[in-house]
Amino acid sequence: MDPLAILLTRLDFAWVTSLHFLYPPLTIGLSALLFVSEWRWLATNDEGWYRLVRFFEKLFIINFGAGVATGVTMEMAFGILYGPFSQAAGPFFGVVLGYETITAFMYEAGFIGLMVFGWGKISRGMHLFATFNVMLSSTLSAFWIMDANSWMQTPTGVELRNGVFHVTDWWAAIFNPNFIYGFPHMWIAALELALFFVIGVAAWFVLKGRQVALFRRALQYALLAAVVITPLQIYLGDALGHVVGETQPAALAAMEGHYQTYDADGTINTAWTIIGWPNDAANTMDWAISIPHALSLIETYSWNGKVPGLDQFKPENRPPVWVPFYSFRVMVAIGFFLFGVALWGAYLMWRGRLSATTIAGNRWFLRILVFSAFLPYLAIWTGWWTREVGRQPWLVDGMMRVSEGVSRMTVFEAALWLGAFFVFELLVWYFTWYFLAKVLRAGPDMDSPVVTGGDELLGHLENAPDSDEDEPAYVRP
Amino acid sequence: MNDLSQAHNFLIYAWWFALGFSFLMYIMLDGADLGAGVFSLFVHDHQERGAIMATMAGTWDANETWLVVAGGILFGTFPMVYGSAFHYLMLPLIIVLLSIMMRAVSLEFRHLSQRTQWLWDGLFGVASLTTLFFAGMAMGAVLQGYPLTGGQVPTYPGGMLRFVSAFSVWTGIGAVIAASLAGSLFIRARFERTEAIRVRAAVWVDRTFYLALAAVVVTGIWSLAIFEWVRAKWLGPYFWIWLLLAIVVVLATFQMRRATRKERDLAAILWLNAAIAIMWLSMMFTMLPWIVPNTWTVQAAASPAVSLVTFTLAMGSFLPVMLAYNWYQIWVFRARINKLTGYGH
Ligand code: HDD
Ligand code: HEM
Ligand code: HEM
Repeated sequence: MDPLAILLTRLDFAWVTSLHFLYPPLTIGLSALLFVSEWRWLATNDEGWYRLVRFFEKLFIINFGAGVATGVTMEMAFGILYGPFSQAAGPFFGVVLGYETITAFMYEAGFIGLMVFGWGKISRGMHLFATFNVMLSSTLSAFWIMDANSWMQTPTGVELRNGVFHVTDWWAAIFNPNFIYGFPHMWIAALELALFFVIGVAAWFVLKGRQVALFRRALQYALLAAVVITPLQIYLGDALGHVVGETQPAALAAMEGHYQTYDADGTINTAWTIIGWPNDAANTMDWAISIPHALSLIETYSWNGKVPGLDQFKPENRPPVWVPFYSFRVMVAIGFFLFGVALWGAYLMWRGRLSATTIAGNRWFLRILVFSAFLPYLAIWTGWWTREVGRQPWLVDGMMRVSEGVSRMTVFEAALWLGAFFVFELLVWYFTWYFLAKVLRAGPDMDSPVVTGGDELLGHLENAPDSDEDEPAYVRP
Repeated sequence: MNDLSQAHNFLIYAWWFALGFSFLMYIMLDGADLGAGVFSLFVHDHQERGAIMATMAGTWDANETWLVVAGGILFGTFPMVYGSAFHYLMLPLIIVLLSIMMRAVSLEFRHLSQRTQWLWDGLFGVASLTTLFFAGMAMGAVLQGYPLTGGQVPTYPGGMLRFVSAFSVWTGIGAVIAASLAGSLFIRARFERTEAIRVRAAVWVDRTFYLALAAVVVTGIWSLAIFEWVRAKWLGPYFWIWLLLAIVVVLATFQMRRATRKERDLAAILWLNAAIAIMWLSMMFTMLPWIVPNTWTVQAAASPAVSLVTFTLAMGSFLPVMLAYNWYQIWVFRARINKLTGYGH
C-alpha cells in the first residue's frame, strides 16, 4: 500500500479520536461532581447546591451532546480505517467494545434522558439515582475503552492463529499489565479535568463579581479535592511510566529521548534529558540539556541502573521520538503545575483569604485558576499522543504492525475522510464553545422555584378521542 | 471453522438474531424521528418546527443508541463483517454519520440559540433526509454483496464507489418514503388533538401510505428478478410461508389505515411497526445462510467460540432490561404537546 495513504489513514484516526476526546473526560468527571453536589442537596436541603447542580448540568449536557456526536464516528472509524485489524482482533477487541456499547452507552443514554428532562417529573430520590447511573455508566464506558486500548499496548491472554487473535485467557487479556494503572490514571485525569473546569468557571464568576457567594462554595470544595487528586495523578502517572518501561521499553526510550544505552566511553548512559532536539537519523539527542543519573533513578531507583535506549531496537521497530518526547514533557509539566496551583489555593484558604469578603481580592490567583481550566485538556491530549505514537510501528504491540492492520484505502479516499471530518469536528467544537460561553454568560438561574419533583401531571399515552377527559397541556418544569 | 459444536452454532444464531433485532428496533424507533424530520422540511410555521424537535426531546438519543448497539454487536460477534463491510460502505456510512451528528447537534443547539434557529431547523430536516436516503442505499448495497481478497483473513479489496447501483438508489428512495409514513403517524400521536399540524400530518399519512405500498411491491419484484438467493426461498418448496407472511403484512397495513381514520394514533403506529417487523424478519430469514449475501455466511463471519460464550453470558440478560427501560422512558415522556412547547431543560 502507498505509504502516503497509510500516513493519511493514521492521521484520519488520530484526528477523530483527539477531537472526540475533548468531551468524554468532562462527562465522566463532571457527572461524579454533579452526583456529589446533588446528594449534598438532598442531604442538607441547602438551595445553593441545587442551583449549582442545575447550572453545571446545563454545561454538562452541551458537552455530552458533542461527545455523542463525535463518539459515534469512533465506532465506525475502526471498521472503515482499520478493517483488517478489526477482523483479526475482533475476538477480543470487538467484544470489549461491544461490552462498552451495550453496558455503558445504552445504559448511559437512557439515564441521561431522565437526568436532564426528568426534573419535576420524577421524584428527587429517583433523580439522584439517575445522576448516579450516569456517573457509573460513563465510568464503565471509560473502563472498557481503556481496556481495549491498554490491550493494544500489552496484548496478554491471546494467541495469533491463522491471522486471528484468539483469546486464551480472558482474565489476563482484560486485566493486562498496562490497564492496571492506565485506567486509574485516565479516570483520575477525568476527575482532575472536571475539578479544574469547575474551579475555572467559579473563578471567572468571582472575578466578574457575579453570584460570588454561590461560586465561592464550588471553588473551595473543588480546590480542596484538587489538593488530593493532583498528587494522586502524579503518583499514578509515575506508576504507569514504570509499566511502560517494563512492557514497552522502546516506547519509554522514545518518551525520554533516550537514544544511546551506553555513553561513548562504554559506561551506562544514566542521563535524563530535560529538553533537546531529537535527531532520529543520527540516533542522538542534539543540544540536550540533561541531568546525570536522573533517568536511572527515575526508572530503576538506582544510581547507575541500565535503561535500554533506542539503539537496542532494530530501526524498523523504533517509534519516532519527537511526538512522545515533547508530549510527555508537556503532560508532566502540567501535572506538577496543577499540583502547585492546588497547594497555593489550600494555602490561601488556610490564611482565610478565600472567605466571602476577601476572595475577590486575589485577582491574580483567580486569573491563574481560569487559565488552569484549559491545562488538563492539553495534558490529556498530550498523554494520548505519547501513548499512541510511542506504540508505533505496532498496532498491537509486538504482534501486528500498523501497515498490516489498515484498510486498503487510496490516498484520495483517506484525504476525503480527513477533509470531511476536519470540517465537521471543528464545527462541533466551535458550536460547543459558542453555547458553553452563552450559558456561562447567562449565569445560573437563581429565581425559578426549586423543583421538588414527582408532582407534575404526565398525561395519558392514549385516551379515546371522544372522551371528555381533559388533555393536560404540557407543563415545563 | 468447521468443528462447530451445537451450542456454538446456537449462540451464533442467537447473536445473529440479536443483531437483526437491534437494527429493527433502531428502524422502528428512530425511523419515526427521521420521518418527522423530513416532514418538518414541509412545515413553514417556525414554532411548529421547534415543537417537532421537542416531541423527541427525551427519547431521541436512547433511540439512536440502538444503532450504536447494533454496531457493537456487529463488531463483537461478527468482526469479519464489521471489518470488511464498513470499508465497502465507507461513503454512505460517512454521510449517514455526519447527518446523524448534524441532527443531534441541531436538536441540542436549536433551543439554545435565537438568531440561528432557522439554520438548525433546516439542518435538522436535511440531515434527516440524507440519513434516510444513504442508510437505505447502504442496505440495498449489502443485499448485493461485495468482493473479498484471498488470504487467511479475507478482507475488502478497496474501492469506495462500488456500493452505487440502480437497486441501491432505489432502496434509498424506499427508505425515505417508508420513514415519511412513520414520521407523519408519529406527529399525529405526539401533538395535542387540537393542533393544526395533526391535520396536515393526516394528509401526509394518506399520500405516503400508497407510495410506501408501491415501494414495497417494487422492491419485492426487483429483488426476485436480480437475486438468485431470493428466488430460492420465495419460489422454493416453502413458498406458501412467504406468501402467508406477505398477506399478514398487507392486513397489518390496512389495520393501520383504519386506526388512523379512527384517530387511534398509538394503535396506528403499532400496526405499522408490526408490518415493518414482519418484513424485516422475513428478509433476514430469506438471506440465510448468508449474513451478507454471496459474501459472508453467518457462520464464517462469526467470532470463535470463546468470545461468543463470554459475550452471551454477560449480555444475554441485558437486552430485555434495556427494552424495559426504553418503555419506561417513553412512558415518562408520553404527554402530548402543543406547538408552544419548549425543548425543555
Ligand atoms: C489531567 C490529565 C493528566 C495529567 C495531569 C497527567 N496525565 Fe499522564 N496521561 C493522561 C492524563 C494526564 C491521559 C490522557 O489520561 C493518559 C493517556 C492514556 C492514559 O492511560 O492516560 C496519560 C498517559 C500517561 C502515561 C502512559 C504513556 C504510554 O502509555 O505510553 C504516562 C507514563 C503518564 N501519563 C505519566 C504521567 C506523569 C508522570 C504525570 C505527572 C507528572 C502525568 N502523567 C500527568
Ligand atoms: C481518546 C483518546 C485517544 C487519542 C487522543 C488517540 C490518539 C491517537 C493518535 C494520535 C494516533 C496516531 C498514532 C500514529 O499513527 O502515529 C492513534 C492511533 C490509533 N489509536 Fe488512538 N487515541 C486515543 C484513544 C484510543 C483508544 C481508546 C483506542 C482503542 C480503543 C485507540 C486506538 C488506536 C488505533 C487502532 C490507532 C491506529 C493505529 C496506529 O496508527 O497506531 N486510540 N490514536
Ligand atoms: C479513552 C478513550 C475513551 C473514553 C474514556 C470514552 C468514553 C466515552 C464516554 C464517557 C462517552 C459518552 C458521551 C460523552 O461523554 O460525551 C463517549 C461517547 C462515545 N464514544 Fe468514546 N471514549 C473514548 C474513546 C473512544 C473510542 C476510541 C471509541 C471508538 C470505539 C469511542 C466510541 C464512542 C461512541 C460510539 C460514543 C457515543 C455513544 C453514545 O451514543 O452515547 N470512544 N465515549
